[in-house]
Amino acid sequence: MNRAIGRSAGGAAPALGTAERGEVRRSPSDPIRVRINGAWQQFELGRDIETSHTLAYLLRERLGLTGLKVACDEGACGACTVLMDGEAILSCMTLAVEADGHEVLTIEGLPEDDPVIEAFAEQCEPGYGTALQCGFCTPGFVMAAKGFLHENPHPTLDEVKEALSGNLCRCGCYAAIAQAVLRAADKMASQGRQEV
Amino acid sequence: MKEGFKPRVLRKFVGTYRPKIDGWEKASGEAEYLDDIALKVRFPGMLYAKVLRSPYAHARIKSLDVSRAEQLPGVHAVLTYQDPEVASLKPTQGGWTPFFTTSYDRMTWPTYKDRRVLSDRVRWVGDEAGVVVAAESEGIAQEALRLVEVEWEVLPFVLDPVEAMNPGAPVIHPEINPNGNVLPPSPFADSEVFLESGDVDKGFAEADVIVEMESDYHHADHACLGTRGCLMYWEGDKLTCYTSYYQADQTRMHITQMLDLPLHKVRVINPYIGGSFGRGNTGEQPFFIFTAILAKRTRRPVLFKHTRREDFHDSRNKIIYHCRMGAKKDGTITAAHFKSIGDAGAYSDHTMAATDYCVRGDFAPGTLAHIPNLKMETYVAYTNKIPGGCKRGIGNNQINLVFGPAVDLLSEELGMNPVELAIKNFGHEWGPVPDESLEAVLRAGARRIGWEKRHKPGAGPTYDGSKKRGLGFSFHNSWHALWQEVPRGHIQVSVRVNPDCTVILDAPTAETGTGSNTCNVLSCADALTFLGIGPEEIQWISHTDTERGLKDQVQTDSAIAFVQSEMMPKVGKMVKEKVLELAAAQFERAVEDLDIIDGQVFVKDTEEEKSVRDVLWQADLVPILATVSEPLPEEVTGTPFTATFVEVEVDTETGQVEVLRAVVIHDCGTVMYPAGAEGQQVGGQAMAVGETLTEEIVYDPATGVPLNFNFIDYKLMTMLDCPEVEPVLLEVWKGTGEYAACGLGESVTTCTPAAVLNAIYNAVGVRIGTIPVKPEMVLAALGKIPNRASQEERR
Repeated sequence: MNRAIGRSAGGAAPALGTAERGEVRRSPSDPIRVRINGAWQQFELGRDIETSHTLAYLLRERLGLTGLKVACDEGACGACTVLMDGEAILSCMTLAVEADGHEVLTIEGLPEDDPVIEAFAEQCEPGYGTALQCGFCTPGFVMAAKGFLHENPHPTLDEVKEALSGNLCRCGCYAAIAQAVLRAADKMASQGRQEV
Repeated sequence: MKEGFKPRVLRKFVGTYRPKIDGWEKASGEAEYLDDIALKVRFPGMLYAKVLRSPYAHARIKSLDVSRAEQLPGVHAVLTYQDPEVASLKPTQGGWTPFFTTSYDRMTWPTYKDRRVLSDRVRWVGDEAGVVVAAESEGIAQEALRLVEVEWEVLPFVLDPVEAMNPGAPVIHPEINPNGNVLPPSPFADSEVFLESGDVDKGFAEADVIVEMESDYHHADHACLGTRGCLMYWEGDKLTCYTSYYQADQTRMHITQMLDLPLHKVRVINPYIGGSFGRGNTGEQPFFIFTAILAKRTRRPVLFKHTRREDFHDSRNKIIYHCRMGAKKDGTITAAHFKSIGDAGAYSDHTMAATDYCVRGDFAPGTLAHIPNLKMETYVAYTNKIPGGCKRGIGNNQINLVFGPAVDLLSEELGMNPVELAIKNFGHEWGPVPDESLEAVLRAGARRIGWEKRHKPGAGPTYDGSKKRGLGFSFHNSWHALWQEVPRGHIQVSVRVNPDCTVILDAPTAETGTGSNTCNVLSCADALTFLGIGPEEIQWISHTDTERGLKDQVQTDSAIAFVQSEMMPKVGKMVKEKVLELAAAQFERAVEDLDIIDGQVFVKDTEEEKSVRDVLWQADLVPILATVSEPLPEEVTGTPFTATFVEVEVDTETGQVEVLRAVVIHDCGTVMYPAGAEGQQVGGQAMAVGETLTEEIVYDPATGVPLNFNFIDYKLMTMLDCPEVEPVLLEVWKGTGEYAACGLGESVTTCTPAAVLNAIYNAVGVRIGTIPVKPEMVLAALGKIPNRASQEERR
């Protein structure tokens, strides 16, 4: 798999929103600069990407960062969620050029032991089912949960439901996903790592 | 922490709450689906195939000019129905197999070969029309299709199945029925009356009370997040196909039979699959064939993949039911008559399984076996709409939508508790009534929902000024017990025990989210506990690949949770024998003198022992190989039961219905993997409540254009919409084999729609028989607004 930026085992996630920004765009022919999972990358318009390409296209088709999924391609399901400057966004509804000068974190940029990933993977307590079945929506849920827990590290169940109601799971794992997010919040609190 | 289920037989791994074995791969985004493999960064020369879609509900291509499309830069091939390699292909069908591999000459529905691979005839808006292109980008392929000049002969169309049966209706498949749209009876029935036992007229004459009920289910879509498609490429004379259809071996059979290729020259691989819920049962899709031809012509990898809109492609059939049921005063049911009108949509696919085959073979013997006089008939018509077929079972939701309310109404007329009426009358063919499983399921549901507090219809308190609450339930036999899986033939499983005592498990079946992979790993671990290992030491093979040699199990139904597991004890026995042989040589003892417990090989009655790992490590470092290929036991055991109890709240001012709580009960025989089973029970309610209240395909009646093939307007439930669900797992019924289990993945949605209708009646005292239940239907039923029929009359 051609992963542009691999996962770092056990390492900390790159801090978002604080890193140096790319310079402000100068001329239309200048390349786009995006910091993706901690590393600045340049893309030349017309050669690497088109102005009509979405951020999802750039990440998946050009860089092979396939964790995010394109399931509806019109902002209805959340499967393509990534973080831009720490905030959860829909990469199918964001043009690649809009990411110019910004910091993008995809699920590949999270460490293996990320508490949200772990909480989703481990969820199995009686009464709720597992937090994932087919798994196609899961990376989107994980990234939406990352963005949400960044804003609200100690959410209530109702707040979790409200925050993640923009993501669809056809397998219907909602109850277990909500439990996983609450558990992830606990993990993060106990690890003292509330930064994303 | 909620209380978990209690297993009947304690096992070390099967039946325990633990994480899914692929949880981390999926949660981390590492799990690869077709979309993640079919990328230009992995297949640099890859082309994108796009098929022309019909803009009309019913039309014929009069003439075609593809020359401008062919000249567009970036277009590598344009294939049409007129090309000899397409025109010479056999007519086919969308549903060759119910759940085991079938060949062209043994397909389930030979009567209805109503599909062509590219045709001049189109039968619903969005139907694949006679042209497909392969180009360097999706955009170029799309543009090429725009340049195809088609002269259409637009034909009259029909959307309603009852209208489609009328004389003079436009005939949709003249090659199947030149005189109308009614499908000929299925190959399993002589006539539309496909089941008749006893004498229903006599049975109704003996009845003191007779009730009638009608229901109307709709074409609910699977709406999986992963869309369907295939990536195909040729290396010499060998074709490789990656696909998101979940039946690798059957897909190979389909491709080889349609293209006249030998089996060893086609390799089909299933990576992880983004949901299925039965959609693969129409897996013999023409797109496999035209994609293979395009890949051959261009000598490039070619990807054909549905867009979200295109993936609204098959559905649960719309079926209209009429049910008449009669009983004596003491609650003994004397007769039942079910009559259905099935809506096949544009192609028959598995429609006849929904209206006839599975009703006769499953529901009738599974639930109605003790009704002395029973008659069932069905009339099925083509319409110019989305085709229908399997979705979390087949036909079960639709017949339950009339059955559950009919039982509820009958009990009301008799002045009986419907729980007692059900226990008194229903059960499967191979056991007595009352049925132990049904009684256990219904009693558990009644207790958990608080059934004894149920008030008279409409007589409960009012909440928030206008809201009324009610309770309802419905029940059904489960299906996919081991004996029902016998047609799968030999079940093949293989393990390799490495010299370090770790295990590679090959139990091939596509992973669509059902959790059968976890079930297989747990049963394998149980069978190999003597090695002193657990699930962590077992690696399952995630991709199903026909070239690995073992036949995969079609991931059609929930029996996948245990059919391969049934082979594990045999595998374990073989491994044990082989380890003992190695140890015997090393100890210089006879095999009979040795035994293995918890990873230690020891000489009986002595202190002499050695770890299995040491035995293996000191041998030739070649893995121990144990492969089983055996049929399933044929002993017939009947099936257990499932039920859903719900509490709803109906706003009498707005007509809005909300499901507040659902208790979902399954008797499984053996619960293989409780977190997975509960996930089905809980998650299934997001689908079932959606189908009951919010999901609906809407057509423009003037043009037949479907208006909401997207996730904004086809309203799936979100986290905020889902009711609180209490999953209840029981082990009362017992089947055959090591696990004596029965599946549950289909039946998690079966009873919910009917339970909701019964609960609405209990809340507000009016019966609604059509789903989805929309607010205007509730208000019309309450007499607060005119109903649609009378509105139309006024016009």
